[in-house]
Amino acid sequence: MLKFIVRRLLLLVPILIGLSFLVFIWIRALPGGPAEALLGERATPEAIAKIERDYGLNKPITVQYWDYVKTTATGDLGTSVTTRRAVTDELKQRFPATIELAIAAMLFSLLGIPLGFFAAKHYGKAIDSASLFVSLLGVSVPIFFLAILLKYVFAVQLGWLPTTGRVDARIDFDHPTNFYLLDSLWTGDFSIFWDCVKHLILPAIALGSIPLAIIARITRAAVLDVQNEDYVRVARAKGLSPREVDSRHVLRNALLPIITIIGLQTGLLLSGAVLTETVFAWPGIGTWLVDAIRSRNFPVLQGGILFVSVIFVLVNLAVDVTYAVVNPKIRVS
Amino acid sequence: MSVAELEAREVGLEGPSSGLWSEAWRRLRHNPSAIVGFVMVGTFVFVALFAPLIATHDPLEQDLSLLNGGCCPGPSAEHWFGVDALGRDLFSRVVYGARYSLLIGVVSVAVGLSIGLLIGAIAGYAGGWVDSLLMRLMDIMLSIPGLLLAIGIVAALGPGLVQIMIAVGVTQIPIFARLLRGSILATKETDYILAARSVGIRGRVILSSHVIPNSISPVIVQGTLALATAIIDVAGLGFLGLGPQDPSTPEWGTMLTDTTRYLQTAPFLALIPGAAIVISVLGFNLIGDGLREALDPRFRGRA
Repeated sequence: MLKFIVRRLLLLVPILIGLSFLVFIWIRALPGGPAEALLGERATPEAIAKIERDYGLNKPITVQYWDYVKTTATGDLGTSVTTRRAVTDELKQRFPATIELAIAAMLFSLLGIPLGFFAAKHYGKAIDSASLFVSLLGVSVPIFFLAILLKYVFAVQLGWLPTTGRVDARIDFDHPTNFYLLDSLWTGDFSIFWDCVKHLILPAIALGSIPLAIIARITRAAVLDVQNEDYVRVARAKGLSPREVDSRHVLRNALLPIITIIGLQTGLLLSGAVLTETVFAWPGIGTWLVDAIRSRNFPVLQGGILFVSVIFVLVNLAVDVTYAVVNPKIRVS
Repeated sequence: MSVAELEAREVGLEGPSSGLWSEAWRRLRHNPSAIVGFVMVGTFVFVALFAPLIATHDPLEQDLSLLNGGCCPGPSAEHWFGVDALGRDLFSRVVYGARYSLLIGVVSVAVGLSIGLLIGAIAGYAGGWVDSLLMRLMDIMLSIPGLLLAIGIVAALGPGLVQIMIAVGVTQIPIFARLLRGSILATKETDYILAARSVGIRGRVILSSHVIPNSISPVIVQGTLALATAIIDVAGLGFLGLGPQDPSTPEWGTMLTDTTRYLQTAPFLALIPGAAIVISVLGFNLIGDGLREALDPRFRGRA
């Protein structure tokens, strides 16, 4: 088990090196070079020369890469072109917003497990076909369109929930962690907390629906698969109640593919967050990166994409380890 | 499955074999949801091909006088899907949008498929350090969430139609490369490859006439599903404003960009192009699922 984790950690090294190299090369492959990309229309020869000196762009490429790795390793991702603030400072503010949204969406998507289980238990009946169709529809709806639909029905038409942002603009409170749910609880004023929850509901449902559809589908398939295994038949034959068979044998074994698929969804969640945040004007990493493209803010793009990718790689590692812990086959070998 | 069932199936398989492809086709034709998928995709392709004949107006023509009563007039006899915020006929724009979505979807999947298959075939057949190197490279590409990779590419190349095709295509390379490699590795170990090798057939011939044909069916399934993903991703990039430089281009995702402002007064501006995306994507997904079942050898010999 320990050997497996160590091996998996070692595999991380080439990935991280490759990733940093890719992000490093990417900014240097921009048309006109990085200096011109940074300056945009203000690119005079003198200004370009100054930027190249300031950023060390006239040094040999290997030296530049080594410099880049060194500064990145110390947690310095450069300075935003538009705000003149450190990219890491902006990240600290933006990242919790995205994580709060992603976790809420993930929790919502877990409803797919009981849904898929229920469908499998009613295999072949109308409810099963209906759930299959809904999950197929789920993977066919673009996330931003679903977000627009939800906004239209629940915010614009019914007026139950707010349309944009993380909290009502008139409410002002301290947010030391930038996780608004925690910060608002800390104020002790329940109405602020409730306002934050209301702002979170629609974006979380929009972001979580597609993973929910996929998880429901995989759960259904996994339960159907496991149900016909000999050990389930034995469990039934020795007189366990249906509920015990389900909880001890069927669900536990069906969990393996479900864990894998949940891990795979994190990439989708991070990608989907960009679109969901845009629809709901959610001040997270997604809107930050989209603004950065529009203003050609390359330090933000470079730092943001690198950071999100590292998080993604780490989440995948966590999923692999969880998988190994749950799966006795891997634990033994 | 009981022993008796297994035997029964084996007897069945010994009968006159109709071949994988004709049997898959037969099974596909008997799958109702795949038929629905074919109808949806067929409509989509038909509309894309004959857009100039179907559209009732010029998709770019602005008639601001239509907006005198406020934004935006809904469906009418003259404008079937209503009029957008610049006085353009929404029906004609959605019809022309099918062209863009189909073109971008097909081109980007072609980019991802061809490069991915090349890498996968080399890695799978060469093995050794070549395989390790190529697969680590694919791992690195997969370590960037798909849309972010596409955004990075578009940021580097600048917004535009060709750029988003390349961006979406590149994000699909590692998927196809991994798929074909895995499939080739599994096929390489089979007895019939061993048999071909032992009678002295050359490696290249084995690869082209035995390994690849037997490894290709998961690629076909994935290719169909990739078309669905490509249409969604392209629409997403368009929605973020990274699509065609000329914002009047009737690309479905781009058309949705500003509609959130008019949700109160003209929700159909968002609902209709969105529904068009869903229908075309759903069609490809239905066909892809049908193909998966039809090509899966475990289902062979059944209805």
